[in-house]
Amino acid sequence: MTTQSPPRSGAPTPSRSARPVRRRRSPFLRALPYLIPAVGLYGYFLLYPMLDAVRLSFFTWSGFKTDEPAFVGIDNYVRMFTSDPVFWKAFGNSVIWVVLSLLVPMMLALLLALGLNRKMLGRNLLRSVFYLPAVFASITVAAMWRWLYNPTLGMVNQLLEAVGLEEWTRTWLGDPKIALYSVFVASVWQAVGFSMVLLLAGLQNVPQELVEAAKIDGANAWQVFRNVTIPALRPTFIVVVILTMINSLKVFDLIVGMTGGGPAQSTQVLALWSYTQSFTNHSFGQGGAVATVLLLVSLALVVPYMLWTMRGEDK
Amino acid sequence: MSAAVTMPQSTPAGDARVKPKRERTFTQTNGRPDYVKIGLWVSLMVTGALWAIPFYIMFVTSLKSKAEISQTSAWSLPQDWVWSNYADAIETGNLWTTGGNSLLISLVKVPLGLLLAAACAYAIARIRFKFNRVALGVIAVGSMVPIQIGLGPLFSTMVNLDLLDNVWGLMLPYLAFGIPYQVFVLYGFMRAVPDEIEESARIDGASTFRVFWQLILPLAKPALAALFILDFVATWNEYAMATTLLQSQDNWTIPLAVQSFSTQFATDYGPLNAFVFMSAVPVLIVYLLFQRYFVSGALAGAVKG
Repeated sequence: MTTQSPPRSGAPTPSRSARPVRRRRSPFLRALPYLIPAVGLYGYFLLYPMLDAVRLSFFTWSGFKTDEPAFVGIDNYVRMFTSDPVFWKAFGNSVIWVVLSLLVPMMLALLLALGLNRKMLGRNLLRSVFYLPAVFASITVAAMWRWLYNPTLGMVNQLLEAVGLEEWTRTWLGDPKIALYSVFVASVWQAVGFSMVLLLAGLQNVPQELVEAAKIDGANAWQVFRNVTIPALRPTFIVVVILTMINSLKVFDLIVGMTGGGPAQSTQVLALWSYTQSFTNHSFGQGGAVATVLLLVSLALVVPYMLWTMRGEDK
Repeated sequence: MSAAVTMPQSTPAGDARVKPKRERTFTQTNGRPDYVKIGLWVSLMVTGALWAIPFYIMFVTSLKSKAEISQTSAWSLPQDWVWSNYADAIETGNLWTTGGNSLLISLVKVPLGLLLAAACAYAIARIRFKFNRVALGVIAVGSMVPIQIGLGPLFSTMVNLDLLDNVWGLMLPYLAFGIPYQVFVLYGFMRAVPDEIEESARIDGASTFRVFWQLILPLAKPALAALFILDFVATWNEYAMATTLLQSQDNWTIPLAVQSFSTQFATDYGPLNAFVFMSAVPVLIVYLLFQRYFVSGALAGAVKG
């Protein structure tokens, strides 16, 4: 392993003195050896590619080494916004995905966390069952669910037939109207556990003295929940909201594995469309334009949270 | 994700809570059955069963022959338990090679990345140079934007570095993509260490490095353990970058191997499901080993306290 060299303090170590802080090299120089490896990797392999994607969105380029990018101004954006119906489909689907993720799995996770926060028979088993899907790779989850959705042999349609709902059976991933929601169900199955664990951790911050005090004062369960639990849970809840939004914009593996964006681009999302434009259609410029939109959407959702976190930390 | 972090001594997940003297499960104080609680329990159990169904289906499928899969109900238990599906899965998925690659990447990348992130977080949280919060902000933003944004240019970068289709090369972007979140969480953790502790070490003549290595790093252990799990799982399961940057089958990682089970026309579901089970084993082992830190470490710390 490459460890960074241990930076010795510059000043000669004085014998033990009562003065707690000695003057040394500037703090920044002392910090530098610790910063460089992480910041260097981060800058070169993450920040730079992202900014480069924005730059490339003003060029046309096939992505091949032999080919030179040619500057085209805002042509890529004009084309994307006016004559690329797939972009709008992908944009709409990404929005749907974010909104649905904030509604369905999060509410479910909250209910599960509240339920499983109580002592009950089989609590640990249940927690594990809900969390287990989260440790599987999304791409394997996609493979599993493609099997469950198999039109003739899959569990879902067979279950519907068994309970007499034949008319509900369909090609879950082949019907452009419902394919997106079919994939979404798989994502709920996978994602709920992680939010649940976070919320369970947050519930431990609910002061039990306050709960007891409220009960003694005659508050009913709902009032305790409304006035004690909710306020104490708020910080965790905000973290869960942010993580949910970020993860919804990142959704990629599940869609690649289950539908590949189809049928007829009906499950296309921004992250996958950017990838497809760059690598399948060999248009790094168009891919960069989609990526730039995705970047702006992500920042718009995330920056308020960042400011909130850093607030009140001035020292 | 955090600013202020609950320190390790705070209550680890639910079990350490103040308990009533007598454990009551399904009865009220007056001894009568608590129907609300029973109803809650039943609905949780039903939901849990619903969540377990896919695992059941996967398991029975992984033990059925091709013929049986196409002829019997998805729900039925296998008539002959075809354990050879697992052997087939190892072969089709090239498990020893792909698993070896995944293991190599995870075992080198995860500890190394945590060390680098810890060093960076230490500098930002404890050395307090000018603009340290700006540095934190710039780094933290990186943990929150989808990686697919930079995938195209990253591909070109790796081509230029001649690191395309190279397991060791893949570790570099993997390191970069793990660092931001870890710095963010560790910053909060290290920030919460009281100044007095560091000052007394300084008075004893400890250097900046010794304060990091022998004082701050050990104190951050719970967070590091939790981040180890998260990062191991994320690295083991990573697909988007691997599929972009690895090409030859000998360099594939586990998530890429999943596609070996499908041709254009058919998927071999028995071995596929067997492979899915086996592919999760290392993650489950890591999870079980570090589980007790999981909730109490970074996750409790993930919240502004």
